[in-house]
Amino acid sequence: MSLRTPKQAGEWINRNKKISFSFEGEAFSAFEGDTISSALWAAEQKVLGRSFKYHRPRGVLSLANHDVNVMLTDGMDTNMRGDVVEIKDGMSLYEVNTSGGVKKDKNSYIDSISPLLPVGFYYKAFHTPRRLFPFWEGVIRRAAGLGIVNFNYPRILKRKQHSHCDLLVVGAGPTGLSAAYVAAKAGLEVTLIDENRHAGGSLGYNRAGDEAAVAQLDDLLSKVASQPNITVRTGAYAAGYYPDHLIPIVEAGGITKVRAKTVIVASGAFEQPPVFRYNDLPGVMLGSAAQRLIYRYGVRPFSNGIVVTANDYGYRVAIDLLEAGTKVAAVVDLRPGANGGAQAAELTHRGIKIYAGHCVYEALASSGKSGVRGAVICAYDDKENVALTDNKFTLECDGIAMSAGWAPAGALLYQAGTGMQFDYGVEQFVPNRLPEGLFAAGKVNGIFDLDQRMRDGARAANDALSYLGLQAPHNSIEQHVGNSPSHAYPMVPHPKGKNFVDFDEDIQIKDFVNAAKEGFDNIELMKRFTTVGMGPSQGKHSNMNAIRILAKIRGLPVEKIGTTTSRPFFHPTPIGHLGGRGFHSHRLTSLHDWHQANGAVFTDVGAWKRAAYYPTTGQTKEDAIQREALAVRKTAGIIDSSSFGKIEVHGADAALFLERFFTGSFADQSVGSCRYAMLLDESGVVVDDGIASRLAEDLFYISMGTSNAAAVYREMQRAQQEWQLTIGLVNVTGAYGAINLAGPSAREILSSLTDVDLAYEAFPNSSVREGIVAGVQARIIRVTFVSDMAYELHVPMAQVPHVWNALMSTGKKHGLRPFGTDTQRLLRLEMGNHMPGIDTDGLTNPFEICAEWAIKMSKPYFIGQRSLTILEKRPLRKQLVSFVLATNFNGEMPMDCNLVIDGGEIIGRVTSIGYSKFIDRCIGFAYVTPSKKEVGSEFQIRTDGGSLVTATVVKAPFLKNQKGA
Amino acid sequence: MKLLTCPMNGTRPLSEFIFGGELREAPDQKTCTDAEWAAYVHNRHGAPGDKKEWWYHSPSGTWFIAERNTLTDKVTRTYLFGQKNLGEENVVEEESK
Amino acid sequence: MQALDIKTIVPISPVAHAQPRDSAKWDVVNNMEIAVEFANADIEQARKKVLGVTDVSCFERYGVKGPQASQWLADHELAIPSNPNSWTRCDQKTLVLRLGSSEFLVEDQLGGLASKKLANNTSRIAGVYKVPRADAAFILSGREVLNLFSELCSLDLRATSLLANDVIMTQVAGVSAIVLRQTINGEPVYRLWCDGTYGPYMWEVLIEIATELGGGAVGLASYQN
Repeated sequence: MSLRTPKQAGEWINRNKKISFSFEGEAFSAFEGDTISSALWAAEQKVLGRSFKYHRPRGVLSLANHDVNVMLTDGMDTNMRGDVVEIKDGMSLYEVNTSGGVKKDKNSYIDSISPLLPVGFYYKAFHTPRRLFPFWEGVIRRAAGLGIVNFNYPRILKRKQHSHCDLLVVGAGPTGLSAAYVAAKAGLEVTLIDENRHAGGSLGYNRAGDEAAVAQLDDLLSKVASQPNITVRTGAYAAGYYPDHLIPIVEAGGITKVRAKTVIVASGAFEQPPVFRYNDLPGVMLGSAAQRLIYRYGVRPFSNGIVVTANDYGYRVAIDLLEAGTKVAAVVDLRPGANGGAQAAELTHRGIKIYAGHCVYEALASSGKSGVRGAVICAYDDKENVALTDNKFTLECDGIAMSAGWAPAGALLYQAGTGMQFDYGVEQFVPNRLPEGLFAAGKVNGIFDLDQRMRDGARAANDALSYLGLQAPHNSIEQHVGNSPSHAYPMVPHPKGKNFVDFDEDIQIKDFVNAAKEGFDNIELMKRFTTVGMGPSQGKHSNMNAIRILAKIRGLPVEKIGTTTSRPFFHPTPIGHLGGRGFHSHRLTSLHDWHQANGAVFTDVGAWKRAAYYPTTGQTKEDAIQREALAVRKTAGIIDSSSFGKIEVHGADAALFLERFFTGSFADQSVGSCRYAMLLDESGVVVDDGIASRLAEDLFYISMGTSNAAAVYREMQRAQQEWQLTIGLVNVTGAYGAINLAGPSAREILSSLTDVDLAYEAFPNSSVREGIVAGVQARIIRVTFVSDMAYELHVPMAQVPHVWNALMSTGKKHGLRPFGTDTQRLLRLEMGNHMPGIDTDGLTNPFEICAEWAIKMSKPYFIGQRSLTILEKRPLRKQLVSFVLATNFNGEMPMDCNLVIDGGEIIGRVTSIGYSKFIDRCIGFAYVTPSKKEVGSEFQIRTDGGSLVTATVVKAPFLKNQKGA
Repeated sequence: MKLLTCPMNGTRPLSEFIFGGELREAPDQKTCTDAEWAAYVHNRHGAPGDKKEWWYHSPSGTWFIAERNTLTDKVTRTYLFGQKNLGEENVVEEESK
Repeated sequence: MQALDIKTIVPISPVAHAQPRDSAKWDVVNNMEIAVEFANADIEQARKKVLGVTDVSCFERYGVKGPQASQWLADHELAIPSNPNSWTRCDQKTLVLRLGSSEFLVEDQLGGLASKKLANNTSRIAGVYKVPRADAAFILSGREVLNLFSELCSLDLRATSLLANDVIMTQVAGVSAIVLRQTINGEPVYRLWCDGTYGPYMWEVLIEIATELGGGAVGLASYQN
C-alpha cells in the first residue's frame, strides 16, 4: 500500500532514486529527498510518535518543524525532527518517547489516568513527605525529558564563521525572494536565507490546484539566480537577533554570524490548529501540512478526508486534496457566513458539501487511537464559541485537514525590540514600531494576499535602500481586505476534554481554565504553570491559541494579554554548533620546549602556560616541590619567569608618573636601585605590586606578577591619558623574558657568565645592573622574592633559552635545579612575601597586610591616597599574620581558604599554607581579628574534614625566625 | 553583538573592548570631607540615562569616552579623553549605521 | 668568565615550538632559525594558491612610539604613512606601519635594511621611545584566505572593506593582532602579526584551518626567490 501520488510539479523527491531504511525494526523504502515523516506516511505508517506526557499516538501535524510529534534517534543523534530531517539510505530509526515502540508503547496507560495528572500536579503532589523526594525524583526523571544523550558521541567539528552583507533577508518565500531581487537590482549585496531545503515558501505548496504557482515560483527563483550579488542559503535558520544586526545562521555544517547593515524579516507565519477533542489523532493535520505532503513529497495525506476550517485557506486545501486524488467528505467551516470565494464555488461545483457555522465536535479514533475513523459534526455558535450538539452527526473519514489561522513567525522581530500591535483586520500581532534598519514584510507583517506579499517584499527592499542612504521609491502597501486569514477563537469546548492546544506538552483547554483558577492568569505565569510553549517547539503552534484562551477567560481583548518573551534560539541548536572549533589562546615562553623536554607539569597562569614543577619518574608532586625548594635553599634553583609583566616608563616625568600611580616614593630613587611598587584602587584596596627598577633618570623598568599585568598596563594607559605627563609607556611583557636564579650558589654560577660586578657592596639587594650575561645584553635585578640571594635576569625573549642553557650547564656542578611556580609559591611563603590576589582580596587595604612601609602619605597625590587617610583613622578589622602549626604536626593538613575559628566564631581565613621541608614546619598566612595578631597568639583552623587545628602566630619572615627554632 | 566605534580604530564588535566604568568627576581630595570622598568612591548613580563611560579598545590599547544612554543602550558619540572640545578631532558622531 | 660572543647566538622563531623540527627544512635567516621548507616545492606551490601559511617572524623589525617618533623616522629617511592605521612602502623593501597615530612598526622584507640601520642607533631621544618587537609574523596567501579569516576574525577583511593601505589592529583567534593586505611578487597576500608568545598557538590554529581548506604550511624559501 502506498499513498504516493503521481509526480507533482516542483516536488522535492527524486523518484529515480529509491532508498531503504528501518523504523522501529521494520523495513521501509523511500525516495531520495523524502523526510522521515513523508517516507513513513507514504507507506501508511501514521503513528510516528508518542506524546510527551500522555504517550498518545501522534502523526503529522505541521510537517514543518512547528511541532515535535515525530522525534527520533538513529542511535547516534537524538531528538531528530522527523518532519524535516531528510531520510538517508540505511538509517535505522526509533522513536524517542516510548517504552517498547510507538505501536505498543507500555506507557500509553498514562492517557487513561490523565484526569489524575492535571497541570501543576507535580508541584502539589510531591512536596511532602520529604523523605520520599529521592523516590519521586527517580520516577519523574524517568518520565520527563526526551531522548537519551549518547555519551560516546564523537567530536564533530563545526565551524563558526563571520560573514558580512548589506542586506540580510530572512525567509525565501515569495516576499523574501521579491525583496532580495529588488535590493540586489539596486546594487546591494544580499544574503537570503531559508530554513527549508528549498526556497519558495508557501508558493511551493499553497496552490488551490492551480499550477500557475509553479511557474510563478520558477520565475521568482530565476530572477534571484540572475543576480550575482544575492547569496542564497537554504537549510539555514536565523537562530536569533543580536544588537546591531548580528544574526547567527545555523546550518548543518555550522554557524555563520552574519553582520548585516540592514535586515528584512520575511519569515512568514505558523499555521495554528483549531482546538477540538482528539485533534491530535494521527491523520488530523494542518492544512498546510497536507499541502506540503502533496506538493513537496508526492504523498496523499489520507484517502477520504474532511477539511475543518475557520478561514478561507481551508477551501484552498480542500481543492489541493481533491487534485491529489483524495476524497473530501465535507468542508466544515466554523464561520456562520458561507465563504463566497472562488474556491468555495469550485468545491460546490465539484459536489463537495460545505457545512457553514459548523465545527468538528470531536474526531473519532480508530482502534488504539492509531488513526481517524470519523468525525462528529455539529453546529457552532461563533459568538459564544460553543458547540451546539443537538443535531450532531457523524461523518466517516480517515483524516482531517485543519485551517484556523496563523501566528507570525516574529521571533527575530521581538528579539530586536519591535513593538507589536494586534490588528483585528487579520486577527494577528503585526509590527508597528520597528527598530532602525529592521524591516518586516509578508505574512509576518500581516500581509496575506500573494501579489500583495510580493509588493510588500519590494516595498521593504526600497525602505532598506532608503535607510542605507540610497535613492528608492517609498511605496506603502494597502491593508488586508476581505475575510480575516485567522479566526478569533477557533476552540471547541468538550466536556471530556482532550482538545489539545499544545501538542508538545499535551496541554488542553481545561488546563488553562484550571491555571487561571489557581491565580496564574498572567500570560507569563500561565506559561510557566501550564508549560504551554515550553516544549521543544517553543509555542510555534500553541502560543497564539493560549493567548486567545487566556483573553477569553479574563474577558480582555487579546492585545491586553500580550505575548511571552521571545529568546534565541529559534530551533534547538546543537552544543557542537555553539562550541565551534573552541579556541583556547595561550602564551608560551621561549623555554617551553625545554620545560616539556624536562618533564614539567604545566599550569595555566593568566594566558600563560607555566611550568609548575618537574617531577622525576615516580615522584609525587609534593616530593618534587620539596626537592626543588631545598635546592634553592641549599645550592641554587632556576625558574623561567618570562611571563612576568614588564613595562617601561620612559620620559622626563617617569618618576612623577610612578609617584602618582604607586603608593611609594620614586622621585628620590637612585639610578641602579629598585623599589617595591604597590598599586591601590581609589578605595584604597590593594590591586597589585611589583618592582620598579630605575635604569636612568628618565627610564623605569617595572616588573610585576603574571596574571594581572595586562590590567595594570591598561590602568597605566588610562592614567596617562588623564594626567598627560611627558612619558611613554612601553609594554615589553612579550618582548623580554626573565630568569630567576636563586640560592646560595647563585652568585658563583652567575659570576662565571658575566662581567657585571656581583660583589655584595657593588650589587646589593634591591638594585639593578645592565650588562652582558652569557653574551646577551641583560637587565639584572636583585629581587628577594624567593631567596635573599637571587638574580632576576631580563633578556630578549628569543635569547632566554641561550642564557638558560648557559646557566644550567655552568650550574650543573653546583647542583642547580629548575623549579616551577608551585615551588615558587612555597619559597616566597618561607620568605614571608605576600602575593596580591592570593593573600589579599577585593577588600584588602594595605594596613591589613602591614604594608605601611610601602606608602608615602606625604606625597601630593597617589591613587587611593585619600581613602587611606580615612582608613588609617579606623581600627583594623582584620590583619594578615604569619603562623605555624605544631612541630611534627601530622593531622589533616589545613588548606588555603579554610576558616580561622576562635571560640566558635569565624574570625578569619587561611590565605596560604604549606609544609616547608627546609624549616620542617607547616607555615602559612591567615587573616585574624587584631586581638589575635600578636606573636604567640593561638587560634584554630577548621579543616575540610571538620577537625580543628591549632596554629600559633609567629614573627615574619619564617626563614629568618623559624629555621632551627 | 553590539558594535562600538573607537575614535582611533573605527567600528568594532564589543568583544574587542573592555568597559572602564563611568567617567566621573572626583571631588578635590584636599578639600572634600571624608563622607564626600567615600560617596565618590563607593556610590554609583544607578539610574538609567545618558552616561559618559570609559572604554578600552584592547587590540590597539586605546582608551576613549563613549556617551551612552544606558536605558536604550544607544551610543551617541565617542571621543578621546580631553578631546571633546579640542577642535573635535577624533570625535565620532554615531549616525544611523 | 665565559661570556660568549653575541654573534654566535642564533635564536629560533617564536613559532618554532608548534612546527615540525624533523620534517621541515630549517635555515638561518636574519640571524634567526626559521622553517624554510615544509614540503616539496610543488606541494608548497599548490598550498600557496589555495591557502598558504608562512612564518616570517625572522623579518627584521623596529618599533618606535612617542610624540616625536614620526619626526625621528623622517629624519632617518623613512616614508611616513600620512594617516593613522595605514602603511606605506619605503625603498620597495621596507614596510612602515603606523599603528594608531604615534606608534610605528618598521619591517624589512627580505633584502631590506632600514630596521637594521635604525637598530644601530641606540641614543635615547626625548619623545621617541623604542618598542622592542618580538612578533610572530605570517604571510597568508591563496584563494581561501578570507574563508580562513571568517573563522578567526569578526571583521570584514575583503578588499572592499580593508583598503590597500589600511592597517587594522583587531583580534584574530582571540588574540590581539595586526592585519594588512600586501602584494608580494605580484601575488596579493594578507599579513598577520601577533605577540611572539602567542606564535605557536596562532600557527596551530592557522594550520589546522588551512589544512581543512586544502592548504597548509609553506616555507620561507618560497618567498626567497
